[in-house]
Amino acid sequence: MKRFSLRQLTYMAVLTAVALTIFVLESQLPAPFPIPGVKLGLANIVTVYAVFVLGPGPAAMILLARVLLGSLFAGGMTIFYSLAGGLCCYLAMLVMRKLLTKRQIWVASVFGAMAHNIGQIAMAVAITRTPGVAAYLPVLLVSGILTGLFTGLCAQFLIHRLERIPFRRQP
Amino acid sequence: MKSTKFWAVLIAALLAVSLAASFLLLNSRSGSADAAVYQNGELLRTIDLSRVTAPYSFTVDGPAGVNAILVEPGRICVSHADCPDQICVHQGWISNSVVPIVCLPNQLVIQITGSARPNDIDGVTK
Amino acid sequence: MKVSVPLSALLALLLLASCAAPSAAGGQSHTVTLLAMDTVMELTASGEGSEAALEEASALIARLESLLSVTDEDSEIYAANHSGGAPVPLSGDTARLLEQALDLCGDIGGALDVTVYPVVRAWGFTTGRYQVPEEDALSGLLQLVDHTRISLEDGVLTVPDGMELDLGAVAKGYTGDRILDLFRSSGVTSALLDLGGNLQTLGAKPDGSPWRIAIQDPVGEGYAGVVEVENKAVITSGGYERYFEEDGVVYWHIIDPATGCPARSGLLSVTIVADSGALGDALSTALFVMGRERAGDYWRSRGGFDFILLGEDGTVTITEGLEDSFSLYGDWSDHELEVIRR
Repeated sequence: MKRFSLRQLTYMAVLTAVALTIFVLESQLPAPFPIPGVKLGLANIVTVYAVFVLGPGPAAMILLARVLLGSLFAGGMTIFYSLAGGLCCYLAMLVMRKLLTKRQIWVASVFGAMAHNIGQIAMAVAITRTPGVAAYLPVLLVSGILTGLFTGLCAQFLIHRLERIPFRRQP
Repeated sequence: MKSTKFWAVLIAALLAVSLAASFLLLNSRSGSADAAVYQNGELLRTIDLSRVTAPYSFTVDGPAGVNAILVEPGRICVSHADCPDQICVHQGWISNSVVPIVCLPNQLVIQITGSARPNDIDGVTK
Repeated sequence: MKVSVPLSALLALLLLASCAAPSAAGGQSHTVTLLAMDTVMELTASGEGSEAALEEASALIARLESLLSVTDEDSEIYAANHSGGAPVPLSGDTARLLEQALDLCGDIGGALDVTVYPVVRAWGFTTGRYQVPEEDALSGLLQLVDHTRISLEDGVLTVPDGMELDLGAVAKGYTGDRILDLFRSSGVTSALLDLGGNLQTLGAKPDGSPWRIAIQDPVGEGYAGVVEVENKAVITSGGYERYFEEDGVVYWHIIDPATGCPARSGLLSVTIVADSGALGDALSTALFVMGRERAGDYWRSRGGFDFILLGEDGTVTITEGLEDSFSLYGDWSDHELEVIRR
């Protein structure tokens, strides 16, 4: 396993905490969809950020840690939906990473959100064994695109500000 | 690397398509009917009656015995029950959300949740 | 950063959009579904204070059930039934309802009797273990059916030893009335209660149009007719709701207090449209026992309600008050419709 510097590990831990916090807060919001466990996916912004700024390896670790810990807090079927959504978002990021620049992270966020939704619906269909559930996909995509856009633009904004500060991973 | 404008346009297009699809699906859903099977308040399963092609049945165990539930395209009923009063069996088929099938001894409730109720009826007295 | 202004504007817009959507979709109509009094109940209310009113209604239902239940050992009714003839004090609600019920029994003259419970039990309708009772057993039990021997004075109830009271025929209607009182005082302007098939309404629908209540087809799957109402209770009684078959004969749960046997008056179902749920509940059972002729006579002499009778011969009889608001439906569209006038 690749050795991480203390600075990197700290950075990853902080990001995991941020992702977890967003996830827990999001769980408090009233569920917009009738399927228990399906979430908005706001925490994926951390996955998006991590893939672009830290790389695929650390991002994967942060995602797994967040999903496992998050499912402990939320309970129920959440772990399946979080895993499905998070994983699809992550995979989408691996692709988008090749297609986008650091100034276009907000774009990645939108696609990440869409991938997250597709993953969640697929999992919902599998769990409830009702293909009819897939009818919610377009509605979910609309909310996904909008929230992805919102969080993406926030992140982009933040990154630009952060770049001014001489603090980044070691070369 | 594609320009930011390209991505912005692509996202706008995807959003438009999703919105359109949402409206279409929301309207056509008034034809579909999901039967939700509850026992003791817990949702056991949901069946999309509009997608049933061949009849099938399944059973649910309760405190007073077994209920056999029969599903056909667009409708559902309790075909056999161990409960003493047989009200659930006598009720017969339901195909819309106006009236649920209830077997109290077995704490079973089958409720159709899609908006497949005839739009011009608000309730049924029985 | 050159894009900071349009970017912030976009962010603000998105935030607003995501906040506005849920509250617009929230709406004002709320529904609560619950199991109580041996049946499924669905309460829908619109207007200010609906949510809180619905919660209070759920609590009210639970309270009334515990007071009125004939099988719950802690209920007041149970206590009175098993007191061996001793007086039992009642709480306000129970006393009020019992008084209403006893008055109605007296008014209806025999077709309704709240003391018919021992007979209903003998047929097995209370437990689900159906049976046709022996004639001797039945005549013995009929001695115990006489509402005039029930004494209710100043809120104290005395049930003679051996007799048993059951307010099941009016409990749901009464509960509906109390819930609507609660709704009115909470500011609810439109509501629909479905208490195990008893429909009661407050006002009109949120859009101003009358509630369209369908009457269950007693012999088929759909509806026999639809009546449009505002602020009325629409309550149906029919043999098809609970029955059993033995040796080719069908026996149902609506018992004629005079004979102790299922009432066979030529009717499949009776629907009452009235201001009060308790009245509607009681009359729907009573008129089923009476049959078409007696029902018409009773209506002419008393008034204060309307009815829809579905006869075994397929004839639909309605009172003139419903002429404009009632229409036949589905399979019953071509049946004969007769209007009774004063």
